[in-house]
Amino acid sequence: MKIEDVVCTFCGCLCDDLVVEVDGRRVVSVENGCTLANEKFMGDHRLQSPIRRNGKGWEHISYDDAIRETAEILCDADRPILYGWSGTHGEAQSIGIHLAELLGALVDNTSTVCHGPSILAIQEVGHPGCTLGQVKNRADVVVYWGTNPIDAHPRHMSRYTTFADGFFLKEAFRDRRLIVVDVRKTESANIADEFITIEPGGDYAVLSALRAIVRGKREIIPPSVSGVSREQLFRVADLLLSAKFGAIFFGLGLTMSPGKYKNVRNAIELTEELSRHTKYTISPMRGHWNVYGSNEVFTWITGYPYAVDFARGIAFYNPGETTSVDVLRRKECDACLVVGSDPGAHFPKACAEHLARIPTIQIDPHTNATTHLSRIQIPVAVTGIDAEGTAYRMDGVPIRTRMLFKGEYPSDTEILERLYTLVKEAKGP
Amino acid sequence: MNFLLNTGRTIRQGSYVERKNSDAYKGEATSLYMHPVDMMILEIEEGSHVRVESNQGDVVMKVHPALWISQREVFVCLGPYANYLVAPETHCSGMPDFKSTMVTITPTTDLLVTVAELMERCGGVRYED
Amino acid sequence: MSELLVRNAYVIDPLSGIKGDVMDIAIRDGKIVEEVGRNAEVIDADHCLTLPGGVDSHSHVCGTKVNFGRYMSPEDMRAGRTARKGVMHVTSGYSVPTTFGNSYRYSIMGYTTILEGAMAPLEARHTHEEFTATPHQDMLANTLFDGNWSIMEAVREKDVKRAAAVVAWTLSAVKGFAIKLTNPGGTEAWGWGEDVHSILDQVPHFGVTPAEIIETMIRANELLNLPHSVHIHCNALGVPGNYRTTLDTLDLVPDLNDKRQTLYLTHLQFHSYGGSTWKDISSKSEDIARAVNNKPQVAIDMGQIMFGRTTTMTADGPMEFKLYMLHHNKWSNHDVELETGSGIIPVYYSRKSLVNCVMWAIGLELALLTKDPWQCMLSTDNPNGAPFVKYPEIIALLMSRRFRENELALLDPRTAHYVPLPAIDRELDWYDIAVMTRAGQAKALGITGVGKGHLAPGAEADIAIYPLKPDSLDPSTEYQQVMAGFGKTRYTIKRGRVVARDGEVVVEGANSTIWTKAITPPEFDLSVDPEFVKKFEQYYTVRMSNYPVQDVYLPRGVCIATEASL
Ligand code: SF4
Ligand SMILES: [Zn+2]
Repeated sequence: MKIEDVVCTFCGCLCDDLVVEVDGRRVVSVENGCTLANEKFMGDHRLQSPIRRNGKGWEHISYDDAIRETAEILCDADRPILYGWSGTHGEAQSIGIHLAELLGALVDNTSTVCHGPSILAIQEVGHPGCTLGQVKNRADVVVYWGTNPIDAHPRHMSRYTTFADGFFLKEAFRDRRLIVVDVRKTESANIADEFITIEPGGDYAVLSALRAIVRGKREIIPPSVSGVSREQLFRVADLLLSAKFGAIFFGLGLTMSPGKYKNVRNAIELTEELSRHTKYTISPMRGHWNVYGSNEVFTWITGYPYAVDFARGIAFYNPGETTSVDVLRRKECDACLVVGSDPGAHFPKACAEHLARIPTIQIDPHTNATTHLSRIQIPVAVTGIDAEGTAYRMDGVPIRTRMLFKGEYPSDTEILERLYTLVKEAKGP
Repeated sequence: MNFLLNTGRTIRQGSYVERKNSDAYKGEATSLYMHPVDMMILEIEEGSHVRVESNQGDVVMKVHPALWISQREVFVCLGPYANYLVAPETHCSGMPDFKSTMVTITPTTDLLVTVAELMERCGGVRYED
Repeated sequence: MSELLVRNAYVIDPLSGIKGDVMDIAIRDGKIVEEVGRNAEVIDADHCLTLPGGVDSHSHVCGTKVNFGRYMSPEDMRAGRTARKGVMHVTSGYSVPTTFGNSYRYSIMGYTTILEGAMAPLEARHTHEEFTATPHQDMLANTLFDGNWSIMEAVREKDVKRAAAVVAWTLSAVKGFAIKLTNPGGTEAWGWGEDVHSILDQVPHFGVTPAEIIETMIRANELLNLPHSVHIHCNALGVPGNYRTTLDTLDLVPDLNDKRQTLYLTHLQFHSYGGSTWKDISSKSEDIARAVNNKPQVAIDMGQIMFGRTTTMTADGPMEFKLYMLHHNKWSNHDVELETGSGIIPVYYSRKSLVNCVMWAIGLELALLTKDPWQCMLSTDNPNGAPFVKYPEIIALLMSRRFRENELALLDPRTAHYVPLPAIDRELDWYDIAVMTRAGQAKALGITGVGKGHLAPGAEADIAIYPLKPDSLDPSTEYQQVMAGFGKTRYTIKRGRVVARDGEVVVEGANSTIWTKAITPPEFDLSVDPEFVKKFEQYYTVRMSNYPVQDVYLPRGVCIATEASL
């Protein structure tokens, strides 16, 4: 059976035009998707059943036992943390947050190690953005700053920018100018009209230089700024200002480099500066397919996009203190539930060590690095393949992912609902 | 020899992300990209193993030449191997210095470890299907 | 079967013509009935003011832009925090509370129905997700058509029926309630960083004017026989001298419907400015109110501002940028492809700002100078003018001249020179307030037929009992009690269940979402129209099949179906 308009649950592009052929409980072929989508849909290496660590080895256990034991661990903990969420649908995220509320737990999502700094910058200066179709239909200048879409968001250029024809740009590739800024010459840089190589850690200075030029202060620019020549800066500023509609996209090159949220703040302020002359928007390249959804759901329930601590009864937010890496670094939490992410692979070693020290439970369809650090892993259905629910694209557009077939695994929602019920019973009214 | 370690996403890392315990993932996540001039100075060749050490620990990786990277900088895709070297300090921002870890690189004949072995070194217990 | 009897209630039920009678209200299975059996549970209202549940006909509480207001404002979240307690979830936020925060606070004030003022169709799913997390009110969504390409093309072709067909398809796809025009044409212009400045400006590339959009949509709305009228946020919001644009807009309105208004103009305070700069801004409330009084075919809401901190958020992207250029605090903007836009900035309305003082006076003046309370709803365009928790204070200001004088004394002394407020003696009475906070809204929205805004047998048993005794209370002097009383019901009853008591929510809620579906003849079915389908194939970034909001997002949807006259 061929299913059309399937939503890809891999990256933040959340492409919704895949055609997937399904035979029973097996995906046979994928059309329109990129390499990453093909791997995701064609992959079949799920964990078969719940497992539990047993001394130096592992044993298979039933879902009932796994869920009951998880509930006990969470109820016993003084300072549990519920982490992940970007790899599951919104309905599950919502239950997870209410579970944290019930437990007085910390709850955090993967933005903490990707666009958390962007959120901090937005909380300082705001965010002039737009949906991706606005860029596709109008943008004549596109900037990728500290992001490499060809590797990380393979269809971003073909669906939304460089190669995507739009209403006001009938021949996008010819009519749009592309600027790429990075510390290394990425694949994306190879097709740029202007490629700016910045010395590592130099983004803030280059952004400041561009802001100064846009403000008309060319005379204060030194011959070279973080490895970028004055001539190139002038050329790029002129190109930026020539736009009828300019769209800036930025990635981890800004959020993870020295300066972090201040880099992003400067990029937003450059956008704001440009908006006084012509139309400009800026957007973070969100990584996981539903990381933006986790920010949205966190926000409408708790008021904050990530790093929320319920220990005081109220929702308390203080990134740098209530962020996962900091809490683990301080060896503060004494139990961890991981849903839809792999902190074993994506947190610094010291954090992985603490996850191994405390009872860590993982809810995930696949084994990964965190598996080896855990006490229990509960396999679930993959959202977008054998489970469905809401996802938010990197630009905030909500899309319902599809279930392609009914498999044998329970969804995240089902597991979390059962956990919630058990914890609620244990905690009393 | 000292280098600045940069990390980021790659399409292969993304492709194998749901098979983190596979050889393919191990191959990509232990691939270290270095400028050929630096390789000459270190007297190593494509495919040589190196020990990469930071103030957090050390891990073995496999070298690949790359012209898209500057001298004295190396690139490894984000994942458990790179993160074995990254400090948990966030300077009160929540975000570690994933793109600016100072590392020392020396040639070695030691073998690459699997993700499971690496996690065991962190205190975990390896799970094998 | 569950039965409830509210005894000794001092009832004002304007839609039923009850203007203050002590009586009993019988409830069975969530509806008002003539009588109940002897075993019914009894609540003694003890002669307290008892009204139909409050209806807010224009508020921003759910959806993309509201959530972004929270997302970007941890300082606002910290300004209103409550812990989990009983059935109540944690809440955060003062001017943009979390969904549960909104729901509890509205419920405690006796509100049981809210219309979200602006939903972008492309992002409707988000609004509905937040509706589900706003459990104590029935929700409706104004759906934005101000910059809709298919609409503007139909307007250019002078094809009202096609415009109606676009509305019918869209409302039913996104489970919206009514047509909202926010700065019509201006949001599309903002896609190029531009704006329209009067109703006769051309929208770039589309060759239509705001006036043409408004006139076409008014007629399309009536062709579809929708319960509500077109709901407009006029062009030139917040600009000195904009009252002319507002008068021009009022002049466009024909009288096409005998059950309700033909155009609903929202937050009119922001559209009633005289002068030509921020230095000489003055109140034009008298001109506007005169026009409203002369046109029974329009209804308005106040858009009152109150002093203090709040967050402004609207689909009017260009206006927010202008506001940002004044305040330089922080600015968010979010344009939505082929449809609309939005902007958000935090603001502080100060008694020390003459401009803010004039704005404050205008809102009150509009309510006091509009003769017929059915034409003017009480609103703050929550949270743009003030968070809705300020409604009780506004009620008190409208009911007490003395309170207004005391407040005026605290303002910039030049205020009196620019506004007529000090000369207005009128004090609204309990009946006026009952109209302006529920009955008028229900009528204007066209939802009396689904049992909203009144207490006649058959109506939804949504009831608010306030600790106020109209027989013995003089609002003119005892305005503090009025304010306190409207802030906290003794009982809020939603669909026959007590949901809030004395400031606390006591049950988990389960609301409904009310949406409209106009049934059109097959030749107007746009799902097979090549031009319309092409929009999705070529210009939208979401496939047509993934666009409509699935039924799972409305666990208790109430569909008002109409037969279109096409
Ligand atoms: S670009 Fe991203 S969402 Fe689109 S198909 Fe590739 S992995 Fe999936
Ligand atoms: Zn509004």
